[in-house]
Amino acid sequence: MKVLVPVKSVAQIDGEPLLDGAAEVSPDLLEWRLNEWDEFALEAALRLVEGDGGEVVVVTVGQEEAEEGLLACLAKGADRAVRIWDPALAGADPLAVAGLLARLATEEQPDLILGGVQSSDSGNAATAVALAGLLDLPRVAVVAGIELDGDQLTVERELDGGAIEVLRLRTPALLTVQTGINEPRYATLRAIKQAKAKPLATLGPAELGTDAAAALALAGSRTVALAMPERGEGATMIDGPPSAIAGRIAEIVTAEVGS
Amino acid sequence: MPGLLLAATKSRPILWDTPLGLEVLWYGLVGLSVLVFLYGVARPLARYRRGNRDGLPPLREVPARFWQATRKVYSQAMIARRNPAIGWAHRGIFYGWVVLAIGTVIVALSHDVAQPLFGAGFYDGNFYLGCKAFLNLFGTALILALLAMMVRRAVVRPARLDYARPDRAPGEEGAERRGYRVGDWAFVVTLLVIALTGYLLEGLRIAMEDPGYNAFQFGGWLVAQPLAALGDPTLAALRHGAWWFHGLLAITFVALIPYTKAGHMLSSYASMVFRDPLAGKRLAPIPPERADAPAGYGTLGDFSALHLLQLDACTKCGRCHEVCPARATGRPLSPRDVVLELGEHSRHPRGDSPGGLLGGLLDAGGAAAEEGAIGPEAVRAETVWSCMQCNACVEACPVGIEQAPIINQLRRRLLEEGELDAGLQATLQQIHKSGNSLGQSRRSRGKWTAELDFEVKDARAEAVDVLWFVGDYASFDPRSQRVTRTLARVLHEAGVDFGILYEGESNAGNDVRRAGEEGLFEMLAERNVEQISACSFNRILTSDPHSLNTLRNEYPDFGGSWTVVHHTDLVLELVEEGRFGALAPLHHRVTYHDPCYLGRHNGTYEAPRRLLELLGCELVEMPRNRDNSFCCGAGGGQIWITEQGGTERPSENRIREALELQGVDLFVVACPKDVTMYEDAIKTTASDGRLRLVELTELLDEALARGPVAAA
Repeated sequence: MKVLVPVKSVAQIDGEPLLDGAAEVSPDLLEWRLNEWDEFALEAALRLVEGDGGEVVVVTVGQEEAEEGLLACLAKGADRAVRIWDPALAGADPLAVAGLLARLATEEQPDLILGGVQSSDSGNAATAVALAGLLDLPRVAVVAGIELDGDQLTVERELDGGAIEVLRLRTPALLTVQTGINEPRYATLRAIKQAKAKPLATLGPAELGTDAAAALALAGSRTVALAMPERGEGATMIDGPPSAIAGRIAEIVTAEVGS
Repeated sequence: MPGLLLAATKSRPILWDTPLGLEVLWYGLVGLSVLVFLYGVARPLARYRRGNRDGLPPLREVPARFWQATRKVYSQAMIARRNPAIGWAHRGIFYGWVVLAIGTVIVALSHDVAQPLFGAGFYDGNFYLGCKAFLNLFGTALILALLAMMVRRAVVRPARLDYARPDRAPGEEGAERRGYRVGDWAFVVTLLVIALTGYLLEGLRIAMEDPGYNAFQFGGWLVAQPLAALGDPTLAALRHGAWWFHGLLAITFVALIPYTKAGHMLSSYASMVFRDPLAGKRLAPIPPERADAPAGYGTLGDFSALHLLQLDACTKCGRCHEVCPARATGRPLSPRDVVLELGEHSRHPRGDSPGGLLGGLLDAGGAAAEEGAIGPEAVRAETVWSCMQCNACVEACPVGIEQAPIINQLRRRLLEEGELDAGLQATLQQIHKSGNSLGQSRRSRGKWTAELDFEVKDARAEAVDVLWFVGDYASFDPRSQRVTRTLARVLHEAGVDFGILYEGESNAGNDVRRAGEEGLFEMLAERNVEQISACSFNRILTSDPHSLNTLRNEYPDFGGSWTVVHHTDLVLELVEEGRFGALAPLHHRVTYHDPCYLGRHNGTYEAPRRLLELLGCELVEMPRNRDNSFCCGAGGGQIWITEQGGTERPSENRIREALELQGVDLFVVACPKDVTMYEDAIKTTASDGRLRLVELTELLDEALARGPVAAA
């Protein structure tokens, strides 16, 4: 049983963002962390392998900062990590990333690919789904429960109103995992340090039989500008004891809506 | 061969009227007793050899430490502390035992060494009478003290001697620890019987021989009075019987010392010699050679020799049990039971062990190496996570056991195995990413300065006299920020040249380390040491006792050795220097809570009290004050751990204690975590109207706002 887990190091803007319409945020303002959904996907993969034996391989498309996230995955128990990068890939969209991942998956031949539903920074929810399409794999999105029996997968999805949908499919397959499916384990800082002894390969597009230009040729979209929404006006702060605040709110409601 | 009967004899016969065969048997039994004793001493020593060397003092320090421990043992100060009456009772037993043992050795030296070598012993004449008087005096003290202790156990029954375990449900196997109760009683009863039969023996001799000098052997003379009527043949038979009974019981007791509660004479003494003076203040780093091994204690095989010795040194006095805030608030933890539980696993591992006497010696600790320290049948995870690392147990322990640091080692392992609270996990990840525990942006650490009407210097950019390490709560928590700004204004007004590190500062790591995340602590310490070392300053100031503790006691292991002062120390200095002029007396009636990490960990008790005095406040002490202060419940990472069970919050317990004080309406604190904990507890106990929380700096600010007093 081999499980491939594509992960993404997402950028968090530290402090109040200073966006002025440029297409990028200044790297000084960014803090990197592993995408939350991917933590649940990795945990699901680790639990499947711990039960039945096998290998968990994590892969990311990202610059050097992403290695910290891969080390955390290795610290938690992933067996190998692969980072795919080329400076020309900066700003690559989900389709371009999925194309590179598909080439790696073709080499690795995993029984199962577990990705997060989406990334918290760009929120496209597209990469894993595109990867399934490129590999022509059966896929289920937004999974809330996974059971594996031989090559038989039973997965659950939560539908509107709390109904549970149960699906069966055979491996190889691709699932995108929802948060809350499990409780991701903690990687101690010592474990992260020790994980440096585990295999972490860095590959360029050439090693996957393509080049950055070809990878980017799949691009479907491009970021043009980033900006904060304009701050709304009309908010009134009310101070004072609770009774005075309640009285003032009553006045405003009466004035705006009518009694 | 009865000696010549004289009206007055300054001696007594040794081995009176004993045939050669029985004499040989006696010496054989004495020899056997010594062998059993020595085997009992060697076995734990062989076990300790398997432990790692962490925390042991360098060899050159041992003589001085031995001397210190010996002075303490002979003064019995560690037992008398907080319990003068118990101190005197234990002194009676201790000195009674020591003097009687020395008396027996003197007899043996005279009879078995001097007699055969020089043809004459020395146990006679005035020396004999002096010995007799001493032995009678201390024998009586021993008996009285034993009786006092027995009354305490049977009648007074203090809570600390109750063996019911808070970490086991009532009725669960081992929840009562009956075995220990039996052992305790066997110990005191045996000592009492040995002492009483000693007097009986003396009385029988006096009744038979009437040697005179009754005042020198008053105990025996007293016993002899009713016996005199019995007649010599009966007395002689009784004397033989009593001699063998007393003798056999005494040598059996000696043989069993290392195997019973009496063993604390050896193990507790040794523990006091090797105790770490910084226990709990500076936790053990992980040495480089074990960087790749699992952290902390998972099995007894992971324990240091020092901690293994401490597990054997416990006398079950229950002082840690009594002071533990987790135990007092109904959580499943008693430091005593952690030590006893681990000690049982260390001494009696369940795994396979080669049998036989030799096996016991050769494999000592071998089976224990595999013996799990954490688990349902050992120390439970919930127990490990109930600890507040407040060090009250370490402080209370009379024999130097490190309960809190041992629990910390168990945490290190639990953390690696992923057994930690989700709230704690999220906070640790937060600290790793942004350097603070409150989920705030790293860049906003210095934002509290924005509301001041002066600039706070960036100590990274320019030299300062005082480098202020602000800490997480004081930097980010809105209530504590008010205190922080007040302190900044006070320092500014006093003309102190100070600066802060702004976003260069990270969580100091004191509580990260106490939560068991050693790797993250190392990272934070390294990062802060790097930032601080690049600055030019004379001393470090902090208002956070937790940061103070780790900066002062733990950063030296990471290359940062500086003078670190608490703000109460610095503010006191400024007031005493007259930087604010004469202060208007506030006339408040207040109580003060000693923060664990300021008081117990760092010995600052006077500065806040002196400040209160200078501010014209009347201090009414909390019943539990100074080194016996009661934790607010935030320590050891508890402030990040989702609250679990318990009968009440430690902070509420503390507020209720303050509410008992007559006419006190201000609860004074000197720690940002206390500000948060007690502001909450005052609300949740609905005490808003009766008690108000105030930070010490805010009182100074109040005095300053009233303006200087005109000189009289």
